[in-house]
Amino acid sequence: MLTAIIFLPIAAAIVLALCARNDKQVKWIALAASLAVLILSLIVWAALDLSNPAPQFVERHSWIPAFSVEYYLGVDGLNAPMLALTGLLGVAAVLISWHQQVRVKEFFFALLALQTGILGVFASLDMMLFFLFWEVELIPMYLLITVWGSGRKEYSAIKFLVYTAASSGLMLAGILVLYFSVGTFDMIALRDTPFTTAVVTSQGVFFLLIAAFAVKLPVWPFHTWLPDAHTDAPTAASVMLAGVMLKMGGYGILRLCVSLFPGVAHDYAWLIATLAVINILFGAVLVFRQKDIKRLIAYSSVSHMGFVLLGVASLNEVGLTGAALQMFTHGTITGLLFMLAGMVYEKAHTRHIPDLGGLAGKMPVLAVAFVIAGLASLGLPAMSGFVAELLVFLGAFGVYREATILAIFGVLLSAGYILWTIQRVFYGPEKPRFAHIGDATKSEILPVAGMIAVIFIVGIYPALVTDTFKAGLAPIVHLLGGGS
Amino acid sequence: MPIRDYYLLSPEISLASIAMAVILLDTVVKRKGLLAIFTLAALALPLAFTISLWGEEGRAFGGLLIVDQFSIFFKFLFLGVTAAVVIASQDSVTNFKRFQGEFYALLLLATSGLMLMSSTGELITIFLALELSTLSAIALVTFFKTDQAVEAGIKYLVLSGISSAMMLYGMALVFGVSGSTRLEEIAQAVGTTRLLDNPALLMGMLLMVAGFGFKISSVPFQMWVPDVYQGAPTSVAAYLSVASKAGGFAVILRVFYVAFAGVSMEWSMLFAVLAVVSMTFGNLIAMFQSNIKRLLAYSTIAHAGYMMVGLAAVAARNPIGEGLGTQGLLFYLTGYAFTNLGAFFVVIAVAQKLKGESIDDFAGLAKRSPLLAGLLALCLISLTGLPPTVGFWAKLYLFSGAVQADLVWLAVAGVLNSAISAYYYLRVVKAMYMSPAASDERLTPSPAISLALLVTTGGVLFFGFAPSYLLDFAVRAARGFPG
Amino acid sequence: MNVGVAASIAFWIMAIIAVVSALAVIVTRDIFRAALFLILAFLTVAGLFITLSADFVAAVQVLVYGGAISILLIFAVLLTRDVQKGNPSNRMLKPAVFLGALFAATLIVVITNSTWKLSGDSPPQGTTAAIGDALVNSYVLPFEIASVLLLAAMIGAIVVARGRDE
Repeated sequence: MLTAIIFLPIAAAIVLALCARNDKQVKWIALAASLAVLILSLIVWAALDLSNPAPQFVERHSWIPAFSVEYYLGVDGLNAPMLALTGLLGVAAVLISWHQQVRVKEFFFALLALQTGILGVFASLDMMLFFLFWEVELIPMYLLITVWGSGRKEYSAIKFLVYTAASSGLMLAGILVLYFSVGTFDMIALRDTPFTTAVVTSQGVFFLLIAAFAVKLPVWPFHTWLPDAHTDAPTAASVMLAGVMLKMGGYGILRLCVSLFPGVAHDYAWLIATLAVINILFGAVLVFRQKDIKRLIAYSSVSHMGFVLLGVASLNEVGLTGAALQMFTHGTITGLLFMLAGMVYEKAHTRHIPDLGGLAGKMPVLAVAFVIAGLASLGLPAMSGFVAELLVFLGAFGVYREATILAIFGVLLSAGYILWTIQRVFYGPEKPRFAHIGDATKSEILPVAGMIAVIFIVGIYPALVTDTFKAGLAPIVHLLGGGS
Repeated sequence: MPIRDYYLLSPEISLASIAMAVILLDTVVKRKGLLAIFTLAALALPLAFTISLWGEEGRAFGGLLIVDQFSIFFKFLFLGVTAAVVIASQDSVTNFKRFQGEFYALLLLATSGLMLMSSTGELITIFLALELSTLSAIALVTFFKTDQAVEAGIKYLVLSGISSAMMLYGMALVFGVSGSTRLEEIAQAVGTTRLLDNPALLMGMLLMVAGFGFKISSVPFQMWVPDVYQGAPTSVAAYLSVASKAGGFAVILRVFYVAFAGVSMEWSMLFAVLAVVSMTFGNLIAMFQSNIKRLLAYSTIAHAGYMMVGLAAVAARNPIGEGLGTQGLLFYLTGYAFTNLGAFFVVIAVAQKLKGESIDDFAGLAKRSPLLAGLLALCLISLTGLPPTVGFWAKLYLFSGAVQADLVWLAVAGVLNSAISAYYYLRVVKAMYMSPAASDERLTPSPAISLALLVTTGGVLFFGFAPSYLLDFAVRAARGFPG
Repeated sequence: MNVGVAASIAFWIMAIIAVVSALAVIVTRDIFRAALFLILAFLTVAGLFITLSADFVAAVQVLVYGGAISILLIFAVLLTRDVQKGNPSNRMLKPAVFLGALFAATLIVVITNSTWKLSGDSPPQGTTAAIGDALVNSYVLPFEIASVLLLAAMIGAIVVARGRDE
């Protein structure tokens, strides 16, 4: 089942590369594959037995016996929603690229290959397999940015590649030290086996691993690749980047760092909390200086990822659940924001905020959607962002009071910049150059509406997601010394 | 001499005999295209002998010839590389009126030298085998007699002469200290002396490393590489970058495993430093190359650096070679052979049609020949060390060996370098897929080069998905190695 | 004065001549004279071999280097155009001298400070038979490789020396 989910996109990519006769077929094949992935991942999620902490839907085969690498897939409460999120954004990314005209076949090939890489990262329970998929995703993303991007796309693409490849090297070193110390790549077994100090102390391994995730998440001061890559990537790639690839970092921290080294995580939680606050405030302040919509959303992502870190730093059930939920909701909200920004750019041919203005009259649907996404992003109740941030604050407040209070200022700042942006882009006097601009087309409204629906559903009934995360986090919380 | 001695030497004997047979055949046949086919078919003979030796352990000629799993692994590797190079050379060699047979003969003689290098346990034999492969290679480099080729040949001749002289001097010093040229007897004499107590031993080893360093094209013995690769026929450059290098590593492993096992720990740091310098130098200079063969030349220097990570890992373990170092290195050499041959073969295919080797000539290749562009992209991704290619696993095993040998910093340096190398490898990929093509004319590779490409890139992909076949082979070769 | 002391004196005289004539090869501007100095160096090295009781090697040195290679060298000088231009000098002279001196100094330090494995046996009387025996018995493998090596060198030389007709 998981194998099918992971390899469906790449199989579809090969099919469309070899068989599709025209661009239309390419798009339909891509859409069908990503829809199938979404449906299958939802089925997996629905069928997940939450009372059972062990991984389910396990597929385990010996792959390279000499090196004890296994083909080991499985889902539990932690990664099942992530798979579904990837499926959801995968569909959205295909729909948003419906008007793609340049090298259509290659574009969808790269997009689908990317999806396989990301799904693989989330579903792997063998560290080597995890690392392999982690690397697989690099090349398609590099190509997406460098071929179909805009602006300084080549610079941004290579920056993305070098940052990620270099940091994943540190992760590899960490994984190998773990392997030679414990003798397995099995994440679940590693979680249950205490690490005996080898050459490198457990702190050393912890920081080797977290370095890669910190670049991906991204954590200040390793964030500088993100605004460039997000801004210059084509819309679909921005959606995937912000929506799910950043979450690979957060997921890695939860799955590998915290659960394998609970003791070290305890000792250095203060550091994580400090970085979290810096991330939140630094990102938020920088947002105000941005004039490019996509760059603005990118910096807001940096700020919002700070909440994930803060939730992790709390190291209790509520905070961790909040962190996981924040990843999920940020995926939907920021994915939506990037989609909308892309649509605005496509119609207005500029992303420069001072040039925009008064668009609400011309594109009412987009404006409303943007407002909803923005409100969700700043954490308005009844939307998913609110629940996640609330949980993070609840979890962290008892542990890091000052940090939490500072972080709440971040929310205020985000309210400021979101509303200010909406005002500058959609309201104000209508500009004559936008006289002939149109609203979103039907194929564009569909994914937007879908995302908005998800945001509301999770906001109103968060238990749908949080229960799953709680089940997935239970073993980790147990390791950390019981719930809070 | 008992007949068994000659049986153990049969792969090399048959190879040298085929070399002479090709020259004789050249004087008889009219259709010169047959020469390549004959060479290829005849390679089955040494291959068959090597297969029949598989599993044998033995000494011959008074212990000078050592047949073990390790040397047989290398014999397979050399034979495979030679076969691929013969196929790939076929097109350019048939352009010659004369001396076609000599080309193949020299190639086979070079290979027999390399095969002997991997299976001797005595310094004089090592030296002669190494010279056999180098001298044949010099003639091959100069084969086309263009100005560039002659310059490359002279550079190769002079520099290899200097490095051989240094190596020979080093061997003489080691002989003076140990009283023997046989690796096992040297090991007994050397024991676990501290190197600083006996500077002649240190000096001798250092000079020998200089000679081997030339073969593996490690810094600081890399000066010849870019010019020779650019001037030599491309298939010969491919051969040098893969087979010669593997031969050098085979000798280094054998010498350090057997003769200097007692003092190997002290060498780990030297190899580690050379590794870092080599890979950094190669990668940094490669960024500024506009000729694809020069780019691959600097990349091969960088890869020598990665491979020396394996040497450092082998040398750092006590007892020597325990752990993943040796098998990682063997795996890397094989994976690199598939990958780099593939990359060079695409260059051959493109240069045949376009008469150009600059990266600009590859612009828009994806439109003109999607297949060639795709295969080159695959090889470059494998050289970078990204999945799903054999290069990924190769780097992984090698760096695992380093981590296992407590050289975490070295593994990290290696991975950071891989990240740098992504920059220039992907620059070529980008040129192929994004830059506009000079013309829309389709490029169709010739049948011979297509076959060679099929074999090599097939290996890159196959072992990318199923590395354990190759790994088991490497593990067996490493295990059978005397410790 | 016994034989040992005489041999030592002869060794040092010839060693000095060998080094000086080798230096002269590099320093002399006239190529022909340089070639003559080279031949002198070859011959004194042969003399060194004799003082070291290596009679066979000495004979080979005279035959191959003193005879064959010297004649080849003279022919090469004869056939070289622009002989009058002489030995080229270049900018790298000073660094080369420095590095050479450094290497020599290192070697002297190394050689004087090392423990060498010395054989207790007295030098054999007449090494030819022993060398012949070693070449075809215990060292037959390198002997054969050397013959293949010569074959490869010959083929290579023919290929490289062909005209530029194609």
